[in-house]
Amino acid sequence: MMRSLLRLLCLISILIFAGVVLAQGDEDTVPYIQLSAFNTPLLEGWENQSEDDFAQFHYAEAHATIRSALVEIGDPVAAARSDLRRAFGIELGEAIYQDKVNLADGTWNVLVYEPDAVASASVMARRAGSQSVVISFVESDPEARILMLTIAQSGDAREDAAAEIDLALSLLASNKPADLVETSALALPSGEWTRAGGAGAVGMGMVFGNDSFLAIGEGETGNLPKLADAYNRTVLGFFITPDNAGYLALALTASFAILALLILSFFWRSRNIQKDLELIESLNQAGD
Amino acid sequence: MTTKTKVMPTRQTVEATPMPRALQLLTIVTLVGFCFTLALGLFVAGTDIQQGEIQRIFYIHMPSFFGAFTAFGLTVVGGILYLWRKNEQWDRIAGAGVEVGLAFALINLVTGAIWARPIWNTWWTWDPRLTSAAIMALTYAAYLMLRAGIEDEARKRTFMSVYGIFAFTSVLVTLFIIRVVPETIHPVIVGASPQNAQGSFEATSGVVMALVPSLLLWLTLMPITLIWHRSRIEGRLEAVNRLKLQILSE
Repeated sequence: MMRSLLRLLCLISILIFAGVVLAQGDEDTVPYIQLSAFNTPLLEGWENQSEDDFAQFHYAEAHATIRSALVEIGDPVAAARSDLRRAFGIELGEAIYQDKVNLADGTWNVLVYEPDAVASASVMARRAGSQSVVISFVESDPEARILMLTIAQSGDAREDAAAEIDLALSLLASNKPADLVETSALALPSGEWTRAGGAGAVGMGMVFGNDSFLAIGEGETGNLPKLADAYNRTVLGFFITPDNAGYLALALTASFAILALLILSFFWRSRNIQKDLELIESLNQAGD
Repeated sequence: MTTKTKVMPTRQTVEATPMPRALQLLTIVTLVGFCFTLALGLFVAGTDIQQGEIQRIFYIHMPSFFGAFTAFGLTVVGGILYLWRKNEQWDRIAGAGVEVGLAFALINLVTGAIWARPIWNTWWTWDPRLTSAAIMALTYAAYLMLRAGIEDEARKRTFMSVYGIFAFTSVLVTLFIIRVVPETIHPVIVGASPQNAQGSFEATSGVVMALVPSLLLWLTLMPITLIWHRSRIEGRLEAVNRLKLQILSE
């Protein structure tokens, strides 16, 4: 009897295991780097300089670095300044572009700095409790000027970011081309990008939700797609693992309480049966 | 002509029913298995980086539903066999199945609601899966109330057997609804999730390693052990009630 039961259990376990394994989806997965405080996509082909409290990837050919950090300062702008000073020794000065956009995970400050003639720093920063998330793109390529920014689309959401590319080039390009030509649509891992430009300056844009994620480049812009894709994958893929251990404790307590009530009710009922028996016994004795 | 004599229970027959060795063994294995699978889910399986620690409740939430499935399934088996054989033992198993299954269904509902709070930002939503699970629990709660309310024993057993068989449709609806109603936000772990699902996660090898033992325990050992204990108590209770009637009639 017991042997048959054991065989049945083994068979059921094998069937369940096989079923779950076979039914696993083979969806594409994004490689992530998991740090103690947050998670960010792993940029393959970039030199990983991450440590436990920040993620940092460097692309030597473009003199570019993408860095994500959780800074112990509540003001996102001050946090960005502090983080870039600590990481790169850069004093940011005044931003050449500053705006705010509302994404799914909060309101982000969009900041663009040019601390000196060669370097630029494009930053997305938002408040996270008493801390701030800072995601920065820093480049110091003497042959190129690359800036990243996000602009909320005005009016009805559109499928391409041509209008925002035009706006970004107007605001930030040293020499905005007189005639912008939308040259191509690019499919990159971060999404579908529109590329437009002219003599001297190029812009790329990707629509995600109601916002356009943009990159503009001047000079040698061959690396622009790779840099734009990597930075925006980082911005869109960054997330903090929520601290919800309290809910787990509550759910476990509730589960144990229900099981305990069921099992205690067995004991109570057994005890009541015993009491009834004793009562019957005493009635019997009284009758005798 | 044959005559049947109904054997009335005595105090000795009610008391002298030691726990069978198989049930003792089953109880110990179930307890050890419960602790083992809990440890797997809480300490061995990795933390889901998107959902955080609350994802670990999945190792109880999903198996508890399947535990309820087994328990309510035994109610169907008990009901059919009672109607066929008219043996009270089967009715006791059917009744015990509902009590144990309802406890498991409540665990499933409560853990789901607590999981939903941080993941869906709400304790409850009238999603097809949640609604059908709630209806299932209410259907079986009504079973217990009806069972307690019918005094005629033979009528009660027959009626509850039929009820228990038909009530199982609510379990099947709950099980399959997320695979046929695309508007659900409830994730599907085995197979592709619906388009609107929120809070899905991939069944990685770590998840599978923690899930399978837990699923196995809740699907088999836990409902069988608890139903066995409960039906034994019910058997003793019925014997005591008969003893009371016997004394009163003397």
